[in-house]
Amino acid sequence: MAGVSFREVVKTFGKTRVLHGISLDITDGEFVVLVGPSGCGKSTLLRMLAGLEDITGGTIAIDGRVVNDVDSKDRDIAMVFQSYALYPHMTVRDNMGFSLKLRNEKQALIDQRVATAAKILNLEPYLGRYPRELSGGQRQRVAMGRAIVRDPKVFLFDEPLSNLDAKLRVAMRTEIKALHQRLKTTTVYVTHDQIEAMTMADRIAVMNEGRIEQLGRPLELYDRPANLFVAQFIGSPAMNIFDGVVQSGAVEALGVRWPANGGASDGQRVRYGIRPEHLEPASAGIPAEVVVVEPMGAETEIVAKVGDAPITVMMRGRSNAGPGERIHLAPQAAHAHLFDAASGIRI
Amino acid sequence: MIAPYVLVFLVFVVYPVTYGLWLARHPQSYVTLFDDPVFFRTVVNTIVFLMVAVNVKFALALFLSGFFVHDRAWIRWLSVIFIIPWAVPAIPTIFSIRFMLNPEWGIINSVWFRLTALDGPNWLNDPTLGLTMAMVVHIWKALPFWTLILIAGRLAIPRELYEASSVDGATSWQKFKYVTWPSIRTLYLSSTILSMIWTLGDFNSVYLLTGGGPADLTHVLATLGIRYIRLDQVDQAMATIVVALPFVLPLVYFMMKRLSANE
Ligand SMILES: Nc1ncnc2c1ncn2[C@@H]1O[C@H](COP(=O)(O)OP(=O)(O)OP(=O)(O)O)[C@@H](O)[C@H]1O
Ligand SMILES: [Mg+2]
Repeated sequence: MAGVSFREVVKTFGKTRVLHGISLDITDGEFVVLVGPSGCGKSTLLRMLAGLEDITGGTIAIDGRVVNDVDSKDRDIAMVFQSYALYPHMTVRDNMGFSLKLRNEKQALIDQRVATAAKILNLEPYLGRYPRELSGGQRQRVAMGRAIVRDPKVFLFDEPLSNLDAKLRVAMRTEIKALHQRLKTTTVYVTHDQIEAMTMADRIAVMNEGRIEQLGRPLELYDRPANLFVAQFIGSPAMNIFDGVVQSGAVEALGVRWPANGGASDGQRVRYGIRPEHLEPASAGIPAEVVVVEPMGAETEIVAKVGDAPITVMMRGRSNAGPGERIHLAPQAAHAHLFDAASGIRI
Repeated sequence: MIAPYVLVFLVFVVYPVTYGLWLARHPQSYVTLFDDPVFFRTVVNTIVFLMVAVNVKFALALFLSGFFVHDRAWIRWLSVIFIIPWAVPAIPTIFSIRFMLNPEWGIINSVWFRLTALDGPNWLNDPTLGLTMAMVVHIWKALPFWTLILIAGRLAIPRELYEASSVDGATSWQKFKYVTWPSIRTLYLSSTILSMIWTLGDFNSVYLLTGGGPADLTHVLATLGIRYIRLDQVDQAMATIVVALPFVLPLVYFMMKRLSANE
């Protein structure tokens, strides 16, 4: 186990720069998720940590040792690939024991480690099979087994769940998290799925176009997004955001007044953000016209129009509103977010 | 609708094979053949040619394919140059090699003499050296093709397998042993067998270079038939083809078995 630190890490492919100076400290035993839209550079950053890509600039250290010039095989890391990358000509047992075999460990030790990992991952019945004889979920587990038999300093995951169906994905999410709580190995986990990030991470680094937009605990990012990008990226359904102007403690937007608290000066142009669950239908407030009602049982999602802008509302319980009906929305001022219209930075 | 296939089969396979066998039907042909001292030497040469040339060629192809899979611009260019021997027509190039190897005025011995002030070897007038040079020409000519095949085989291996093995701690040799070789082994063995079949029929490398000489000591089964035809012994020539069948048929059999097993 060990901490990982990125210092001003830069990556260029030919003439294109894809990472613009990433700095990030991960403490021993922490589970950090790198999340961001496709192409933002999260896999590249992970692969640089794994030693699979050259480091153009800056340094990466594992356990206090700078590893820029250390081969993958000497970094003492284990990685789970999106495609699993199981060795097709080896059985599950040999796949899992491979890294130990390469380290010339005694066969008895290898057998014992593989047996333990197989037990944790419920793979015991499949040890004699080849990867092609397994389902997607089982292969995924073998890939994890291959990582955990080694007891490495750091676990790396690159979108390990994206080839699984929705149900299995949720189950494996829980399993990986339980595994981390049991092994307490430092983990860097890459995903583009913000729900995965929110549910699994100790801390999340939200990335965009080769930069870290914000680093923090999941609920910190949710409650106090540092900028518009994070505000829009984290949370599902996404935060409602629209243009407005500050006017005596509230925001004029879409032809109505939205309550907000402090920080901005009168006349300042802002982007006003409010999460769907912080807009309750009420007897009085902002008038809106219902467009779609999506009951989900415990909650109901309503898309309504304020002026011409669609606004998403998430209310607890059920609603008997129907399309075309006029309702009133009461925004909770304490949960309103204001961002500078020009820079997108939180006010 | 199978009539056209049957017709093609009759015209191009059944008729020539039957006709050949019919020409080779006299038992006397075989007695004469086995009594011919050239024949025994030819069989030995053929076996040596098959075993040495094919295996050396494949070992080289395996090695070179590992080099050419690297994704660099200059390696691409080099590979284009490397393909040339295979792409050029056989007859003029092998003749030109033959001229280069001429002991008196060939370029190789001229350079040899200039560098060492000694006469170079008598490349094609020594049976061992002659057959060796024929094998070298054969390898030189066929190597690009088989290297390409093995490159294709290597390129089909997912890159993540190499990355996973790097992370798992494998050295280059271990990556070859545990990732590359298991993935291309089947291709390598099938190609070797196919190449043996083709090599058995390789007439050019030997005939154009040594003509079977000196003293008919460098013939292989593929060239022996021509020798008899030039001596007007057509049924003798056909008999050599029949004698080659014990070499070819097991190879063809293995090949077919592999192909159907891979389905
Ligand atoms: N080998 C490469 N050569 C050139 N450009 C590359 C290479 N690998 C990645 N890139 C570029 O670097 C950028 C970041 O890629 P990366 O794979 O890290 O994105 P990602 O965040 O993992 O996206 P995704 O969610 O789609 O996997 C992309 O614009 C991509 O086109
Ligand atoms: Mg990626």
